[in-house]
Amino acid sequence: MEMKTLPITELRKLLGAVSDHGKQHLVEVEADLLQTTFLLSEAIEKLGASFTAVHEAVTEQQHMLDALVAKYALDQDELNRLDAFKQKIGEEVNAAVTSLQFQDLTSQLISRTIKRVNGLKDLLHEIETHSGEMDPSHEHQEIAKFLDAMSHSLNEGSHALSGGLRRSVGQQDMATGEIDLF
Amino acid sequence: MAKTILAVDDSGSLRQMVAFSLKAAGYDVVQAVDGQDGLNKAKEKTVDLVLTDQNMPIMDGLTLIKHLRELGSYKTVPILMLTTESSDEMKAKGKAAGANGWLVKPFDPKRLIEVVQKVIGS
Repeated sequence: MEMKTLPITELRKLLGAVSDHGKQHLVEVEADLLQTTFLLSEAIEKLGASFTAVHEAVTEQQHMLDALVAKYALDQDELNRLDAFKQKIGEEVNAAVTSLQFQDLTSQLISRTIKRVNGLKDLLHEIETHSGEMDPSHEHQEIAKFLDAMSHSLNEGSHALSGGLRRSVGQQDMATGEIDLF
Repeated sequence: MAKTILAVDDSGSLRQMVAFSLKAAGYDVVQAVDGQDGLNKAKEKTVDLVLTDQNMPIMDGLTLIKHLRELGSYKTVPILMLTTESSDEMKAKGKAAGANGWLVKPFDPKRLIEVVQKVIGS
């Protein structure tokens, strides 16, 4: 019976390539996520500052309107319209405050994704460390040992990664959350 | 005299929105960037209410509450959690640590003010 030989050199090459290419893509993913975090952070900072400035201006405007209303006699219809505007502005301000909290939620999710990307890079590095030289005279035993060790390392790494990445953001939309008083 | 609220959160935008809402309702707001910063600021001046996030670097919200409850001046000061965490398990931990309430983000400013008024008055 013909003895089949395992292509150890090719296997080592494949593992090295998987590790190299995988890490290269993950580095890009991480860079994009960090850039997204930075852009979101800068955007929310500017939005927040503009929102606060607009609100201050509207509040001042309201004070002036209140003073004018007190000074000049307006009919009931005009007063009702002013009240309706005031109420509408208040509702929209509340809605904006709720929506402007998106960055806190998304940054937590992105941070968790970056940790997972780094965990995957560690796992790929683990594959790379197992792609070293093997003794060709004992290739079957060597490859069995090697696959077993790699499988064990990957399982450990994957378990540690999942365990350390508890999901802290379950929100699927920007609807306001529940309140419990103890 | 306006009542003072300590707002602890590592997110600048969230602190900004909390401070905006509370100040508009007439409260003074002291801000802290994490649990340790919150603990330091709480020791500098006893506040009327602490509103804290859970997941923060250096010191999380539950640890902050435990430390605050060990201080004589914070035995009865109301502490509310304001966090993305919404599991019953986390809420139970918060209650055991000494929190008086649990608010899940994102918050509605009107409801936040209603809760704060209910807990410490206007």
